[in-house]
Amino acid sequence: MTLVELDAVTVRFGTGPRAVHAMREVSFSVDEGQTVGLVGESGSGKSTAASVALGLRAPTTGAVLFDGQPLRRRRMAGEMQAVLQHPMWALNPRMSVAASIAEPLQVRTRDRGAVRARVAEMLDQVALAPELGARHPHELSGGQRQRVAIARALITSPRFIVFDEAVSALDVSVQAQILQLIQRLQAEHGFGALFISHDMAVVRYLADRVVVMRGGEVVEDAGAADVAAGFTHPYSRALLEER
Amino acid sequence: MTGVAAGLAAAPGRLQALRTKDAVLTAALVVLALLVVASLAGRVVPGLNDGTTTVGGRFEAPSLAHPLGTDSLGRSLLARLLEGIGTTFLLSAVAVVCTAVIATALGILAAYLGGWVREVVMRIGDVLYAFPSILLALLVAAAFGAGITASLAAIVLITVPLMTRQVAAAAAQVARRDFVTSARISGVSAPVIMARHLLTNVSGTVVIQATYALSVAILVEGGLSFLGYGVQLPASSLGLLASEGNLYLLTAPWILISSGGAMVLAILAVTLVGDSLRDRLEPRQAVDLT
Repeated sequence: MTLVELDAVTVRFGTGPRAVHAMREVSFSVDEGQTVGLVGESGSGKSTAASVALGLRAPTTGAVLFDGQPLRRRRMAGEMQAVLQHPMWALNPRMSVAASIAEPLQVRTRDRGAVRARVAEMLDQVALAPELGARHPHELSGGQRQRVAIARALITSPRFIVFDEAVSALDVSVQAQILQLIQRLQAEHGFGALFISHDMAVVRYLADRVVVMRGGEVVEDAGAADVAAGFTHPYSRALLEER
Repeated sequence: MTGVAAGLAAAPGRLQALRTKDAVLTAALVVLALLVVASLAGRVVPGLNDGTTTVGGRFEAPSLAHPLGTDSLGRSLLARLLEGIGTTFLLSAVAVVCTAVIATALGILAAYLGGWVREVVMRIGDVLYAFPSILLALLVAAAFGAGITASLAAIVLITVPLMTRQVAAAAAQVARRDFVTSARISGVSAPVIMARHLLTNVSGTVVIQATYALSVAILVEGGLSFLGYGVQLPASSLGLLASEGNLYLLTAPWILISSGGAMVLAILAVTLVGDSLRDRLEPRQAVDLT
């Protein structure tokens, strides 16, 4: 069943001859429990696509559907979450780890006991020791911070999570750990995921389907199993050969 | 020389610079503390607490009985100076607190909401900023009438635009951080985001700007009182005493020297504390220590 759908979405900044198109007639969808990898170089429109899918930016034309209904960010806030690029800036440096993880849930409940218990559960799920909850972000490593960001994203049991270059800033061994963690958590929780990266190898590891963007347009949309053989666009092949 | 080796070679220099900065901060804090304690002592210690009674002849030079001499009515200048320091500090501090509250609220609103809110806040700030500060202060004094209220309003109007601009710039940086985006995605309301994420992360900027605003406030209070639009007799302030000292510069230079000296000391100490706080709270903007 389709969870999130971008239907002929165009995002244009400015008007007239100076208008810049960040996305042109982009269409793709993410099914329940599916991971869609979104690949492309810098400036290809990946992050704009993510912000449109999360309801942070309205499309100039086209539609974004969540569960077949037009996306309303505020109404669907708990249903969708994001894990963003910079481990350093993913968490408020003034807030403790536990407070950061708890924030999305506190929007929905004032039961402090329930929130505390859920935070402890989330720390356990991302394999972080309970005592780390009292620490601040600067006391954690990059990998630990990204685990906290994942715990924060999972605390409301969302149905859709965007991972926007979520492992790009980490070193290779930590990347592998985080990718395995995401894979395990997705198997346990069954959320749909849009995994954005410029690294085709990372996307192929996680994704069920790969969408390739270039210059604000989708140039390829293929099943991950077909990636090696199925890419038809020269740009997609060039991305594969970079590895 | 490798980067690491160069860093190690420069380390003693940096250490020395840090020590010097610590010494400057300590000296500035001691001066400020002495001024505050002296102004408080002036209100409670018998013999120091009466700047309104005639204690000797007119324009008596400094002596053991009257360490700073007497003024045009034979009042103890030490008592009047201590009262003046207290008045100037209290007035400036209250004005800076008002400035900090207004500028922080406007800066954060402008940064987070953007669009027309930002434009309105920034353009009003630009208009106020375009006026020379003493001209703006005189306009305010003309509108409110001379006195403490006029001084307070003038200081706030002069210091709010710059502080708003600085807070808005700092808050705009924070508003672009991933944790703010995550909070928006999670459905956290705008007022909570502004209070929990933006306010807590611009507090350093607010404190630094408040110290600069305090030195401006002392200067504006002095200027307005000097021109006769600020604190009015029989009260005392550093600006009022400087004005009186200017009148009797040749007869009793100790009046201008003591009041002007106290004002310079206070502004210097506050500015040095501000610089030091900036180095500690915003290290990226600090000057290179090497």
